[in-house]
Amino acid sequence: MIKIPTKILVVDDEKDFVEMLSLRLNETGEKVTPAYSGKECLDLLEKDNIDVVILDIKMPGMDGIEVLKEIKKRFPLIEVIMLTGHGTTETAVEGMKLGAFDYLLKPADFDDLSEKLEGARKKKDEQEERIRKAEAKLLSRKTGGVF
Amino acid sequence: MENIRLLLVDDEEDFRNIIARRLKKRGLSAEQAGNGEECLAMLEKNQADVVILDVKMPGMDGLEVLHHIKKKYQKTEVILLTAHSSTPDGVEGIKAGAFDYLTKPVELEHLLEKIKQAYEKIQRLEDKEKEAEFREKMEQQMIVTERLASLGTLATGVAHEINNPLAIIKEATGWMELLLKKEELAEMPRKADFEKGLGKIEKSVERARRITHQLLDFVQKHDSALSEINLEELVEESVRLINREVVNKDIEIVRKTKPSAGNIWTDPYRLRQVLINLLNNAIHATSPGGKITISSSVLSHFQAPACLRSQASPAREQRKNNSTEAVELRVEDTGQGIPKENLKKIFEPFFSTKSPGKGTGLGLFVSQGIINKLGGNIEVESEVGKGTVFCITLPRYHKTEEEPEKNSRPDFWKKLGL
Repeated sequence: MIKIPTKILVVDDEKDFVEMLSLRLNETGEKVTPAYSGKECLDLLEKDNIDVVILDIKMPGMDGIEVLKEIKKRFPLIEVIMLTGHGTTETAVEGMKLGAFDYLLKPADFDDLSEKLEGARKKKDEQEERIRKAEAKLLSRKTGGVF
Repeated sequence: MENIRLLLVDDEEDFRNIIARRLKKRGLSAEQAGNGEECLAMLEKNQADVVILDVKMPGMDGLEVLHHIKKKYQKTEVILLTAHSSTPDGVEGIKAGAFDYLTKPVELEHLLEKIKQAYEKIQRLEDKEKEAEFREKMEQQMIVTERLASLGTLATGVAHEINNPLAIIKEATGWMELLLKKEELAEMPRKADFEKGLGKIEKSVERARRITHQLLDFVQKHDSALSEINLEELVEESVRLINREVVNKDIEIVRKTKPSAGNIWTDPYRLRQVLINLLNNAIHATSPGGKITISSSVLSHFQAPACLRSQASPAREQRKNNSTEAVELRVEDTGQGIPKENLKKIFEPFFSTKSPGKGTGLGLFVSQGIINKLGGNIEVESEVGKGTVFCITLPRYHKTEEEPEKNSRPDFWKKLGL
């Protein structure tokens, strides 16, 4: 079976980490775009079609929570998985209240990450499916149900 | 005053007997000695608080005896009895360290008054000594606490900084492992060696990650999770969580929790974490057939817990919690015990007697941090070959304290430019 790649944006100011995680995820068949700051992340979301963002909370400049708020405002369908340092569970909870899909402690377990990526992707797909159905209904009503 | 140890020294037996009898009527019993040598011999066996000493005696005279007493038993007070005509003897005696002198014939009321004063002086000195001892102990404890705190700050700083490179190593390793599984590398020479090496890296990263996470546990905020919990239930729950290991090792767990310990207001998760840690340590130290006892009890505010009695300070307890009550949790094992030289170090980070990779040496360090933050104390008593007791005291109601420096990046790292 051919896997449909999840389009992932990895955001962390730690370049080596982004690179290694990207290589690993690419190797499992996902399609990863790297970003090294919150601003770059938002710029890329504007251009590219992304399913899930893996977002580090602790970044200089615009921090993860700010980026998350911005993502949820501008691209509400994109799911976000947060990477948090240990001992900052409060931040993680705050993030989830703001609409993040889930969080992981750094260094994260790859199986956990894969599982959460899949869940996030599924959630987004289902939501898009519902939107499509709703749109179809709307369309058929507009056209008077000719089809 | 009744249990004051008195020694009456005079060469006139009749005089001694009369004085002793009169003192007895007033509730004071006195030992008797007929001369200086006898007096010193008796002191050798049983020290006295107050010696009533006649100056004019055949053989060794009172002043000489006084010199001996003051040289050997600084705490013993001496009341001299002098003849009416020889006041200079009394003055000389006071110069040599006597508490005071009385002239013969002795008025009993005067004597009693002097004995009382001398005894009070002894008690004052004892109190002062105890206070100095206590202060010294407190100071030492402060030094230890401060040292642990700064070690903690340093260690958690390290942990934070190490987590990022750890994550990179982990992802790089995982990536290479994926590559090795690819078809194009199916025939790669010495592939098993690479896989073995990568496996070791992965295992070591996991070990390091455990350490950093445990260290960061130490600084974790917890003020948001305070709630009312039933102590008995908490103990029950903790025991359930470690039960499998206990059964495997044939150790008996005895619960002596009293329902009267009731509910306390604290952080259940953190307290459970500490309990489990103590239980795991106990299991580790106890041989098959051994016993672990968990007990709880209520302490009234000023009563120091039994296991802390030697160094407990009511003042400190009071400062730590303004409530009226505290509870005590004890975890007692019949294990191998902790040697004296290790006892001081067990709360230090990275102190462990387990083999490398088995323990991080952070369990008790983190536990102590948690208990202190919950407004309590954790103490240990141990005897090699007999077992160990850990004793936690917690206020029944814990008020959250202001913690100005929680997860903030320590200055140390800024100075290093990290």
